[in-house]
Amino acid sequence: MERVETGRRGGAPAGTLTTSPWGYLLFTGWAALATVLTGGWRLAGLLLLELLFGLACSRKALRILRRPRFWVFILSAAALGPFLIGEPDAALGPLHVSWEGLAAGIEMAGRASALTLAFSLGLAALSLSDVVAVFDRLGLRGLGFATALAMNLLNTLREMATVTWQTIRQRGGVRRPLIALRLFLITTIANTLRYGDEVVNAATVRAFDPNKGPPASLPLRRADLWLAAALIGCSGLLLMLQR
Amino acid sequence: MSSYTTRSWVTIGLFGALWGAVEIVLGSYLHLILPPQADTFLIGVLLGGIGVAVALTGRHFASNRGSVFFISVVTALLKLLSPGGIKIGPLVAILAEGVLMEAVLWVASTRWTFLLGGALAIAWNLPHKFIMMRLLFGKGFTQVFTKMVQDGSQTLGLDVSAAWLILAVLLLIRLSVGAISGWSAWKLGGAVARRLGR
Repeated sequence: MERVETGRRGGAPAGTLTTSPWGYLLFTGWAALATVLTGGWRLAGLLLLELLFGLACSRKALRILRRPRFWVFILSAAALGPFLIGEPDAALGPLHVSWEGLAAGIEMAGRASALTLAFSLGLAALSLSDVVAVFDRLGLRGLGFATALAMNLLNTLREMATVTWQTIRQRGGVRRPLIALRLFLITTIANTLRYGDEVVNAATVRAFDPNKGPPASLPLRRADLWLAAALIGCSGLLLMLQR
Repeated sequence: MSSYTTRSWVTIGLFGALWGAVEIVLGSYLHLILPPQADTFLIGVLLGGIGVAVALTGRHFASNRGSVFFISVVTALLKLLSPGGIKIGPLVAILAEGVLMEAVLWVASTRWTFLLGGALAIAWNLPHKFIMMRLLFGKGFTQVFTKMVQDGSQTLGLDVSAAWLILAVLLLIRLSVGAISGWSAWKLGGAVARRLGR
């Protein structure tokens, strides 16, 4: 089982173009807000900006564009618009469609793409270490600890649940399904809590206290400042085009 | 936050992992075997019901105010970091359910607040899809939805007001499922505590 490490992320040295977790969070927030507040053809510009950010800083997150389910979801909006919005004013063979509806459908598809990409490029690019580091910096060290514990526990949980289920099955428990289910749930949760006791003991022995100690530093990088400047510029441009 | 001990955070992590495991494993399985149309009206209610039961059971063992909300935050983060990729809908649903449960439990932690918290959390499932679609697709979605309701009513020969009746029935189902989840969590928490001698 591969253990998920949660140590301080090494990160790139100062002076490179890799953004810190703050940069990704800033981009997600900005792009989501810009998508909600803007509309029309400006969404195309926003999408282009998101693609550029993805190519520069978060290529892995662009894999969402390779998923057929993403395109089915987006294109269904564009496909429904001509039939359900506005009055039909054009004929496509036997079908009567609305140009107003087509425009609205394309705008809907553009907005959904922009929002989905905004979250994918920003949040999905964060690793577990980034999340823990951000929580630590915000004074929520306990929450970062809980998240890391949960991530590392997932495989152990699966094994515990499998062993419990097989034990119940081998003892003929499935002949009474409701009782078997109750037994399974109680045993799994009890075993999980016993595992938790071991974690608490280990943490106590190491004098870990989520309420003590100063928050770890998670400094901004030069790339974050460039990104912030670029986003301010883009905001100004969008505001000008809005008028 | 200073009332949270190491044990509190460990318990939050454990129940966040339990809820996350249900979402990731059972969710993937259900999405595979059921059609996409079953998404909101079956999968969402089923996963929500189990998740709510897990989170409320966690309240038994981490009785600090805010613990259920933090369990939902941990679950949402596990879902975010899972290989399935980012899906905004489930993230918002998990967090909204956590907020609703915690809002009720903030007052008191009794059998009845467990029932009410569970009921409200699963009731969120009904408006959730509409809110998410409105957020994702903008005001055009409202026009699409209205037209679909009108066309559907015409096709089925029903009055449009029947749509409100259908929504009321769907809401009642969710409130019932949520209340059962809350009640189950109360019983389960007690049974586990007796097993562990706590």
